[in-house]
Amino acid sequence: MMAALRARAISLFQGILCNSKSNSSALDVRFQVCVTQVRSHKIIQIPRFRHPYWHVRKDRSHYSENLTAENKEFIQETIAKEFGPPTVVSGVQTYGSPVKNVTKVEPVEWFPGIRRTSTIARKIGIQPMWLKDGTRVMCTLLQIVDNHVVKYNPPENVIPLRRREKVVPKKALGRYGALVVGAESADPQEFTKNYCGLFRESGLPPKRRLARFLISPQAVLPPGTPLNAMHYRAGDYVDVTGFTIMRGFQGVMKRWGFKGMRATHGVTKTHRRPGNIGAGGGKARVWPGKKMPGHMGGKTRTLRGLKILRINTEYNVLYVIGQNVPGQINSYTYIHDCLLQHRWVREAKDARPLPTYIPKEGETHPEDIYAADVHPFDGSSIMYEVVDTPTVRTGAKIAKAKGGKK
Amino acid sequence: MASCLSRLCLTSRLGGKTMRTIGCRGLNTSHISMMPKSSSSESTTDNSVEKESSKKRGKSTQVPSYEQGKVSRSGVELRFKYPEMFPEPHMIWRNPIKEKLERKDMLARRSRIYIPEFYVGSVLRVSLSNFHQADKTSTFVGICIQRNECGLKANFILRNVIDNLGVEVKIELYDPRLLKIEVLRLEKRLDTHLRYLRDAPHEFSTFPLDMKPEIRRTDDVPLNRIKVKLNPRPWTENWYKYDFKGIDNIEDQITNKMNRRRIQLRKPWEKYDMMKTYRETLPEEEINEILSEIKEDVEEHEQKHRRRIN
Amino acid sequence: MFRSLLLVFERRATTMSVLLNIRSSGCSSALWRSFHSSPTTHRLQKLSRLRVVDNSELGKQAMMEGKPPKVIHVYNKTGIGTVGDVVLCAVKGMKKKGVIVGCKAQQPSYIPRTDSNNVVLIDDNGAPLGTRIVVPVPASLRTILKEKTHAKGADYTKILSIATRFI
Repeated sequence: MMAALRARAISLFQGILCNSKSNSSALDVRFQVCVTQVRSHKIIQIPRFRHPYWHVRKDRSHYSENLTAENKEFIQETIAKEFGPPTVVSGVQTYGSPVKNVTKVEPVEWFPGIRRTSTIARKIGIQPMWLKDGTRVMCTLLQIVDNHVVKYNPPENVIPLRRREKVVPKKALGRYGALVVGAESADPQEFTKNYCGLFRESGLPPKRRLARFLISPQAVLPPGTPLNAMHYRAGDYVDVTGFTIMRGFQGVMKRWGFKGMRATHGVTKTHRRPGNIGAGGGKARVWPGKKMPGHMGGKTRTLRGLKILRINTEYNVLYVIGQNVPGQINSYTYIHDCLLQHRWVREAKDARPLPTYIPKEGETHPEDIYAADVHPFDGSSIMYEVVDTPTVRTGAKIAKAKGGKK
Repeated sequence: MASCLSRLCLTSRLGGKTMRTIGCRGLNTSHISMMPKSSSSESTTDNSVEKESSKKRGKSTQVPSYEQGKVSRSGVELRFKYPEMFPEPHMIWRNPIKEKLERKDMLARRSRIYIPEFYVGSVLRVSLSNFHQADKTSTFVGICIQRNECGLKANFILRNVIDNLGVEVKIELYDPRLLKIEVLRLEKRLDTHLRYLRDAPHEFSTFPLDMKPEIRRTDDVPLNRIKVKLNPRPWTENWYKYDFKGIDNIEDQITNKMNRRRIQLRKPWEKYDMMKTYRETLPEEEINEILSEIKEDVEEHEQKHRRRIN
Repeated sequence: MFRSLLLVFERRATTMSVLLNIRSSGCSSALWRSFHSSPTTHRLQKLSRLRVVDNSELGKQAMMEGKPPKVIHVYNKTGIGTVGDVVLCAVKGMKKKGVIVGCKAQQPSYIPRTDSNNVVLIDDNGAPLGTRIVVPVPASLRTILKEKTHAKGADYTKILSIATRFI
């Protein structure tokens, strides 16, 4: 009985679907009747987040395909034929063969306001470094993992992302193109067919991570261009964007640093609570943006103005000052050129490799490139110069001397 | 998950005791102090057992002795010789490339300065360049009461009593300001840290500033079984909560309530907790892999510095 | 006889104190003070006691009488004193300034941590009341006190000249 009912319901539903396809205008009329007109909204409709055009479904369900061992081998062979054998390059698992049909990149002259591409990196750890004057600084290690340019979209085609907080200013529209960069090549079997199709034009193996960076059209890079740590120089300043560590639902003391209330003196059950959250009277409501308990972490945050102390060219690792780069260890981060307008950032901005570092034939680098003020670990121990300081005239003596003159 | 299981198998094969001697993190003492290592007699037997078993398995990581006629040590013992070379076994903070780079940096520093073998309880003289001193260098002699952290963050605390005032200095092991580390007395103590010397009479942590290095007869590191007597309370920390092998009179100093708490806090079952052991130790294979990576370089640097001293 | 028996009993009680709720013989009255001795109490703030480490008459007397100086103000923004900070102390019913030359709390690398909170008493011009500091002082005091000394203020560098040993 039930089965029969269910079958009927399904057939009805399918009928509606077919109907909607064949005769959509009739359906629209029906729906229009249903809509109740709303004259005014108290809250203004905020533009909703629009997914990037290249956001296709990435993950597929890994069901058992019952392939024979020979067939599996054949698939691996085909992949190897297309992208080269699986190898480890500078500590990252990737495929061996170079990307086909990459047009040569020509250096570009710097002009004020030019914006280069950013890169995708993994935060791999934290360690101390010492400066030449003996100061100990903590730095974060960011490994640029197998980055390649996937696609370029010219400014006229760029649809800016719209977020709740930020609406892209009109000035920026049509000014920057979008460069899609991918990180960490992976087995194509991991992803959906649609996702793998994104990489067909560039001839790259599918990438684990994709990101879209806004760049000046002059600093464009052809698809397939590799990006590595030499894109930056030791001593440069960068902004690092990451996804902060998830902390779950937290109270105001942990989430916003409220002080809480006293442990004793008659306080009952309100030791870690926020207290008053609004005034009475005319404004008898809670103001928008009031700091309250809620979900903490798991947000995209940018730390600006971090100095690169050292670059490891073998493993493509940037040693960036600071131990508070957002994100967990082994999570992805994005490294941008610093947007701050401070003097210390602006200095020598024009000497950056533009549009990216172009390797010359027969050119070799030292494995580690240090910023000018950083002490290399294989350097000799720091010794301070013994200076014969003249006896400092302190306050009392000066006063005495002044008094004596009078 | 598979690797996890295989490690568990390894743990069970080796047995809890052996595993503890191999991979005990021994650095994060605050954690270990709740469950101090097996007593010295036990540990020595464990080592001998380990040596035999490793020989049987053909996995022995025999190191060529750097002094002729001396007994060479197995890889497992060497794990405690360079404790900072081994990463903290917490999985969420680990990354193989970062560890490799860090080890490279540590070896680069070791090529410049001789960082000798020392343990908690050894007496050291450390000279370093100090910006604040008139001659821009300073020297400190004291007993190492604690070793902290792994990798380049590694540091240790020296304690001494100077002019009847207990003074402690924390020193970074890989700081380029360090000029020389000299081991005056090489020995081990019964506990993983000796912070309780802060509450012991001064005689237990007094060392003359012009102390001369003691001559070592054998390659083995002696174990000092001295037991200290604590001063009456109040103490800087609640020592009664932990089972210290090196404290003599803790039960005379505490109240009945404290004693009850002390017994409550004992966790004798933890040595059978295989998951805990797994989480807090490095597997033997990994230790041997790291050792094989660093061994040649470290020994080369050691010999170089030895020659320079002689 | 009774006394010796009691002693034996008490000694046994120490070992079996779990079962018998009897005070153990080794306990002095000091053991029954139940206050925190955790590292938070090492902080040098208002009302914390200090140890005078110079040979000034006032300081010596205060220490001998068992009435060590008490901090009544710390001249910095945080209210918690560290090496080189100037504090106002109450010593024997008088208000005297002092310079902190050793801290019990945890210190950064290379700055010595001492077993007591040490102070050197000074007058309002920064001149020390004593003629000698009897314990070692941190070498970083040199830089800190020189930076603290201004042309018109007190001259704190005078206490450097009476120090016997720097670490």
